[in-house]
Amino acid sequence: MDVFFIIVIVFLLLNIVMGLFRVWRGPAVADRLLTTQLFGTTGMAILMVLAGYLGELTLLNVAITFNVLAILLVISLVKVWKNKKGETK
Amino acid sequence: MSLIIDGLLAILAIYLALQSLLAPRLTQSVFLFFAFGLALALAWIRLAAVDVAITEAAIAAGFLGVLFLDALRDFAPRIPAKNEAVQKQYSKSQTKSLFLPRLTLWAGLGLFLLIALEAVWKIPEGGGLTAAAGTLLPESGVENPVTAVLLNFRAYDTWLEMGVILIGLLAVFAAGGKMAYRKPGVASQDPLLRQVILFFTPVLFLFGAFLLYIGKTGPGGAFQAGVLWGAIGILLHLGGWPFIALMPRWLGQLLLTVGLGFFLVLGFLFMAAGGALFEYPPAYAGILILIIETLAAISIAAALSAIFALLNQIGEEADEIESTT
Amino acid sequence: MTIVELITVIFLVVGCFFFLAGTLGVLRFPDLFSRLHALTKADNLGLGFIAAGMALHIASPWAALKILLIWLFTLLASSSTCYLIAHFQKEQDQLKNRKEGE
Repeated sequence: MDVFFIIVIVFLLLNIVMGLFRVWRGPAVADRLLTTQLFGTTGMAILMVLAGYLGELTLLNVAITFNVLAILLVISLVKVWKNKKGETK
Repeated sequence: MSLIIDGLLAILAIYLALQSLLAPRLTQSVFLFFAFGLALALAWIRLAAVDVAITEAAIAAGFLGVLFLDALRDFAPRIPAKNEAVQKQYSKSQTKSLFLPRLTLWAGLGLFLLIALEAVWKIPEGGGLTAAAGTLLPESGVENPVTAVLLNFRAYDTWLEMGVILIGLLAVFAAGGKMAYRKPGVASQDPLLRQVILFFTPVLFLFGAFLLYIGKTGPGGAFQAGVLWGAIGILLHLGGWPFIALMPRWLGQLLLTVGLGFFLVLGFLFMAAGGALFEYPPAYAGILILIIETLAAISIAAALSAIFALLNQIGEEADEIESTT
Repeated sequence: MTIVELITVIFLVVGCFFFLAGTLGVLRFPDLFSRLHALTKADNLGLGFIAAGMALHIASPWAALKILLIWLFTLLASSSTCYLIAHFQKEQDQLKNRKEGE
């Protein structure tokens, strides 16, 4: 069972590595931001699996921290960049 | 087997750190830095430091992210993205003039690496002071060794750290955000945005309070709770309720300094009673630490949301001046 | 292997599949709006299946409640994220078009 959990964690980490390409490419800020959101969700999944693998339930608190703050970046992008005249890059 | 996870995390963290420094575009740097924060939080968990992981998650994913996006907005108009030639020239002129700073940076980095290597070399056998902290734990009034060290054994350091946050706010004041722009905000027109902010405000508050209370027995504590409560201030500011800028001056000052002030008064009170600075009587230590942590979290939250609110207002003000000229 | 472990494995594999699908979608889809679609699949289903699997494995009511809360908040945050980003991008495109038309 432990080996299976490690495989799942490594798989999810490799997903993050693949997603880095979209962060690099862009093209718009919104593209990069949505990839960051995907990383956040993947990170939460990794934390859950780690919590089961290590048997340490406090890791769930780390996951909730990511969880409740995930929306903050999006709202700040939407509100802070709202009246920006000009480019989307 | 778990070495694969550790190795992958180590490579990922170092790669992302380098890339977020060296990426050619500012936007790439900022967003790679968010990914770096995630990798770092996972790495802290693998190092069995869940307290640090929660702080890293809250600061990197929440507070720094918002500050960086705001800064990115302020930098964006300086270089028009459409004009490739101008941009190339800009980056070229940058590389030339940046030679000396880069040299200094590399020299400093090398020095830091040497110091870090020496420090790792000198780590004492048996995990340093962990055993000493463990034996004194019953006297500290809490069960979590990290909280005991932060708020009892080494309370002086924590007190100074809170001062550092306040000094950061003073720097923002000095940069032009003297709370001068007391513009009443316009509540957001988007109904969904308004509902999301109103939903997440109590959730953030409750989870912050939970972390504050759980800090007694497990990972959590004042800094994590402070960042989560600070996120409430930031959300409300973004939603068009800039209550930090609008609240009466005395109330703002009280909220910003109550943590630092109470900590100091308490420390000197016990010193006057015959102990050392920040030496609490073991019988009351638990409840005193909880009170200090609550007040500290309030101060940290107020300071962080004020930093963001003022920086945001400075940026918007600059935009308005730019668009009128 | 007990039946609970088998169900956990199945849930985790399905969750991993949706994460892979979401990541590939974010990488391969041609424009922002279709990428948003891929993102919400990973958020809702991928995290949902992994959360269900881990809740079964950990088998403590308090942890299960936390995991359920994580999933519910993510559902809420991800659908709002989708709407907000799409709306933002639409406004930015309109601004850009108007500027080019001038």
